[in-house]
Amino acid sequence: MTTTAIVAVPARARDVLASEWIKFRSVRSTYLTLLLAAVAAVSIGYLVTHSDATHWSTMTAQARAAFDPVGDSFTGLGIAQLAFGALGVLAISSEYTTGLIRTTFASAPRRRAVIAGKAAVVGAVSLLAGELIAFATFFTGQQALSAQHLNVALAHPGALRGVLAAGFYLAVMAWVGLGLGTVIRHTAGAIIAMVGVVFLLPTIVGALPAPWNINVGKFTLNLAAQQTIAQHPHPGCFSAGPSFLIVAAYAAAAIAAAVFMITRRDA
Amino acid sequence: MIEVHELTKRYGGAVAVDGLSFAVRPGRVTGFLGPNGAGKSTTMRVILGLDSPTSGWATVNGQPYQRLSRPLHQAGALLDAGAVHGGRTARDHLRAVAASNGIGARRVTEVLGLVGLDGVAGRRVRGFSLGMKQRLGIAAALLGDPPVLMFDEPVNGLDPEGIHWIRGLLKSLAAEGRTVFVSSHLMSEMALTAEHLIVIGRGQLVADAAIEEFVRQSSRSDVLVRSPAGGALAGLLSQQGGAVTAETDGGLAVTGLDAAVIGDLARAHGITLHELTPRHASLEEAFMELTQDSVDYRADLPADTRKAA
Repeated sequence: MTTTAIVAVPARARDVLASEWIKFRSVRSTYLTLLLAAVAAVSIGYLVTHSDATHWSTMTAQARAAFDPVGDSFTGLGIAQLAFGALGVLAISSEYTTGLIRTTFASAPRRRAVIAGKAAVVGAVSLLAGELIAFATFFTGQQALSAQHLNVALAHPGALRGVLAAGFYLAVMAWVGLGLGTVIRHTAGAIIAMVGVVFLLPTIVGALPAPWNINVGKFTLNLAAQQTIAQHPHPGCFSAGPSFLIVAAYAAAAIAAAVFMITRRDA
Repeated sequence: MIEVHELTKRYGGAVAVDGLSFAVRPGRVTGFLGPNGAGKSTTMRVILGLDSPTSGWATVNGQPYQRLSRPLHQAGALLDAGAVHGGRTARDHLRAVAASNGIGARRVTEVLGLVGLDGVAGRRVRGFSLGMKQRLGIAAALLGDPPVLMFDEPVNGLDPEGIHWIRGLLKSLAAEGRTVFVSSHLMSEMALTAEHLIVIGRGQLVADAAIEEFVRQSSRSDVLVRSPAGGALAGLLSQQGGAVTAETDGGLAVTGLDAAVIGDLARAHGITLHELTPRHASLEEAFMELTQDSVDYRADLPADTRKAA
């Protein structure tokens, strides 16, 4: 089945995929951003879970009840998400800032296919790398927690879902970055916009008077992503399933905006 | 074959290309000449489907560029040599471009050799000189072995050796029967490489002619004569149908009679000549004359003419 599916990919789509794959893997920034994300996610997750284990004996009952062994190990996603977003931004913005985009569109005039090819390559690599980082982060965190026997196994209800969701969220950030990079066509501008989406927007929404901070906030990318990873859902927010759809919708909206804009402007 | 028909491109209120029509034929180097800002690059971008025209159309081999499948086999272009990702190696850059048209690694190696970059194929483009980047851009244009080639200001910033190499390349590509379309703002450069010229100014067609025809049409060629008996000679030449204009330094500029006729006349009437020089306006002068009304940024005008109004 799989073989048939690969052969059935039209030649043009294969061309674009091959080209985008060569571009993606032939620049250092790809490896640097992924490495940065991995180091940030694993090390920050370790520090936080290590601190949990160290302070467990002095924690209040309330704090112990709210303790989330999976969620805490993913604290470093706050930094890793930016690296993945930057990866997506750079996949297209580097072409605009250098002018390479003209060579790209002159050799592949079907621009939507180019964006689709980029989304496929960036998405596939980010999803794979994101999941690898998520599993590494989870196991490192659980290792730190095991000192106080606070760790959970992957088979623990909700644990595997949380780990998979964390990896997926990183891939979503790469797609959001690709979308913003395509629409804004400028590296710094697109990265600022991405920071706005993941940091500024939640801060503003969080400052709204209750219950609007949650009623609106549950639709923000961060809070929705947290619900897909966390073991104890935030009160007032959607459960993991609908939150997952919200996270995916951000990626879909970003790519849709990119595809919409790409044919509407001169290169 | 490249065809441009009634092409107009506006950016906001500014008209970059204004009702431009021409055809570029195979088998010769066609120069695309105009002062800076005349619309050359815009026209080339429209031909490649990168910019969409406000009105009119452009085709490559009879088809709009966007409709070509695997277009590198139909047309290759070098627009801006600097338009490469500095972190990529020359080979990776070419492989990415090649792959988008189903062209394999073997052809990449071939074109690297063709432009003389095989020795630095594995080096990052960031460290390349402008000349090396030009060669890389040309290698990319040649990947699909296309019948149509377009180069935007390919000699800009090159050293003499690089310029020499490009001239030879352009001519040999045309000699193979390809359509070769090269833009420049330097008439002297075009004089050395192009057989046919398309001249534009302010986005409009100024001339579309073979180089020789272009010179004949646009240049005033005359004969400069100096003689101690200038007055008598002037009268004689006028009688014989020549038009004589006195130059400020005492010389006579004669049109309508060639140097041999003037010399014979002078001898027959015993008039001494001190100078007898046929003069042809250089191509550069012809170009200046053609485009003087259409240069966008003239040095002798105030920067903001609206102030004067």
